Amino acid sequence: MAAKLNSMWRTLKRIWQLWMFYAKLDLLLLISDVRLALIYFSSELLTSIGSVIGLLLLAQRFDGIGTWTLNHLYVLLGYSTLVLGILNTFFNYNLSLISRRIGRGQLDHVLVQPQPLWMIFITEGFAPLSGLMGLIPGILLFAWGLIGLGVSLDLGWWALLVLNLFASGTIMMSFNYIWGSLAFVAPRSSEEISSSASRLLDQLKVYPLDGLGGLLLGSLMTVAPVGLVAWYPVRALLGLNSSAWSIWITPLAALFMLGIALFCFLKGLGYYATTGSQRYSSLGHRS
Amino acid sequence: MPPQVHNATAHSDIVVELQDVHKVFRQRQRSSKLSETIRHMFKPRIREVRALQGVSMQIRRGEIVAYAGPNGAGKSTTIKLLSGLLAPNAGRVRALGFDPINERVQYVKRIGVVFGQRSELWYDHPVAASYEWKRVVWDIPQDRFARTQKRLIEVLGLEEFFHSLARELSLGQRMRAELGLALLHEPELLFLDEPTIGLDVLSKRMMLDFVKELNRKQQLTVMITSHDMAELEQLAGRMVMIDHGKVAFDGPFEQLRQTMSDGRRLIIETSDETAPSLEGAELIESQARRHEYRFDASQIKIVDLLNQAAKQTSIIDVETVRAPIDEVIANIYQSWRKPKEVLELEEAL
Repeated sequence: MAAKLNSMWRTLKRIWQLWMFYAKLDLLLLISDVRLALIYFSSELLTSIGSVIGLLLLAQRFDGIGTWTLNHLYVLLGYSTLVLGILNTFFNYNLSLISRRIGRGQLDHVLVQPQPLWMIFITEGFAPLSGLMGLIPGILLFAWGLIGLGVSLDLGWWALLVLNLFASGTIMMSFNYIWGSLAFVAPRSSEEISSSASRLLDQLKVYPLDGLGGLLLGSLMTVAPVGLVAWYPVRALLGLNSSAWSIWITPLAALFMLGIALFCFLKGLGYYATTGSQRYSSLGHRS
Repeated sequence: MPPQVHNATAHSDIVVELQDVHKVFRQRQRSSKLSETIRHMFKPRIREVRALQGVSMQIRRGEIVAYAGPNGAGKSTTIKLLSGLLAPNAGRVRALGFDPINERVQYVKRIGVVFGQRSELWYDHPVAASYEWKRVVWDIPQDRFARTQKRLIEVLGLEEFFHSLARELSLGQRMRAELGLALLHEPELLFLDEPTIGLDVLSKRMMLDFVKELNRKQQLTVMITSHDMAELEQLAGRMVMIDHGKVAFDGPFEQLRQTMSDGRRLIIETSDETAPSLEGAELIESQARRHEYRFDASQIKIVDLLNQAAKQTSIIDVETVRAPIDEVIANIYQSWRKPKEVLELEEAL
C-alpha cells in the first residue's frame, strides 16, 4: 500500500514538474516578442468573443431565448467558453486535434520520448498563458450571469462545477479522439473529417436545446454530444432539471466517452505499429 | 548470415539483434481509369510490399555499422523497428536487452535517434529551450546535463546559434543541433537515418568526426544509413547491405570491394593529345593530354597497360587510384536490379 502511494505521489510530482516546464516554455514564447504577444492575445480574445457574440446579440434583442433568461444564457455562454478555454490551456500544440499529429506522422516524435503516452498527452500541450484569453471571457460571462441570477452557492456546488467543466472538456476531447483515430487508417481525409466533427461540437455548444424533438435531442446527447458540452450540465448546475441526480450525468457520460475514445485510439495505435506513418509534415508540430 | 545463438541483454556484448525479421506493408493500388477505380471501390487491389524478408544481424557494443542499400531496400524500416516505431510481422527484434515496442519507455531512455528529414527541435523556440526540454523529459541530472551540454556546444560548434530560433537555422546548423539533442542524455546506442542529407562538406565532417570520437571514447554503438558511401566508409568499419529486404552483404568495406572486382583507375599524361588505346582498360575521360582509364587489377597488371601505352606515345606522368566506393556500390546495385519479367512474376506469385 505504501509503495503504491509512493508511486502515485511520484507520478503526480512528475506531472506537476512537466506542467511547470511547459508553462515556462509557453511564457518564454509569449514574452520573447511583446508585439507578437499582444497580437496573439488580441486575436484569441476576439475569437473567444466571436464564438458567443451571435447568440448574445439575439438574447439581448429578444430578452432571452425560450425559457432561458438573459442571465441563464450568460451562464451557458460562460460555461461553454470556459470548456474550450480549458481544452486550449491543457491540450495545445494539436493535442486536442489529434488527427493532425497522427495524420502528419508526428506520433513518432511522441513515441521516442521515455514516458508513457498518457503522461505525454496530458502534459505536452499545457499552455496556460496561451489559453488565458479563452478563459477570461468565459469567467467574466459566467460570473456576470451568476450574479444576475442571485443564487447562493456553497463549496459543494463549486466542486460540482469544476467536475462538470472537466467532464464537458473530456467529452469534447474524446469526441475529437474518436474521429481523430481515423487518421491511423486514412491520414489525409481524417484531418478533414475530424476537423468538421470538432467544429460541429464547437459551433453548436452555445445553443439551448430545449424544445427539440426526442430523436434530435437524443442524437445531440449521444451520437454528437453537443448537449453535454454546455447545455445539459448548465441546466443541472442551475437546478433547471427535475432530478438532482442530473448533475452526475455529464461526468458519467464523460467516463463512457473516454472509454470509447481510448478503445479507438489504442486500436489505431496497434494498427500504427504494423503500418507506421506513410506521410510526414512538420506543420503543426511543436509550433 | 545465419543467425547465431546470442541474446542481447542490457549489459551483454551484443546490443542489437535481429533474428529472421519480416516486415510486410500492404499498399492499396490506384488506377487512373474510371472503370477500374469504381471496381476497386468494392474489390480493392492490394499489393504486398515485403520490406524485410528474414533479416538477421547482430551488432556488438562499440561497433559502427553502415547500413546501406538502394532506395526502398528496407533501411528506414529497420531503423524504425529498432527505434520502437514499428512492429515486425515475424521474427525477433531486441536491442540493449529490450523489446523496443513492449518496453518502449525504458528502452528509448538509452538510445538516440536522428532522422535526417525530421526535426526533434521545438521550431518556435531557441535551440537552448529544446535542450532544456530534453533535460526535463529525459530526467537528466542537472550536473550531468550541464557537463554534456557544454561539451556538445563546444565540439559541434553550436555556440553561435544556440540561442536562435530552431526555424531560423540553416540545414547544417539544424542537423548539428539535432545530433547534439540526440546525444544529450548520453545514449549507448545511436541510430542515424540519413543524418547528413543536404549538408556541406564541413558540416558533414564535423558531425561524423564527433560520432567517431564518441565511439572511440565512450564505446557508443552506432548504426547509420546514408547514400553517401565515401562518408560511410570513412566512419564505419562494417557494412551491412540490404537489397529487396534481405541482407546481401555483411562485412568490412575492403571485403566489399573485393567481392565485386579490384576496380582501379589509371591516369596517364602523354606528350600528345591522342589517348592511347589500351587492351583490358576502358577510356572514361580524356582532357587535353590527360587520359583516365578504368580497369580491373585482378585481370590485368598495371605494368602491362603502361607497356601498351609506352609503345603508342611518350608518357609524362602516371597516377593510379582505387575506384571510388560509390562506383563499387553502384555496380553492386546495378547487378541487383532484377529484370522486369522476374519482378512481374514475383508480384504475380
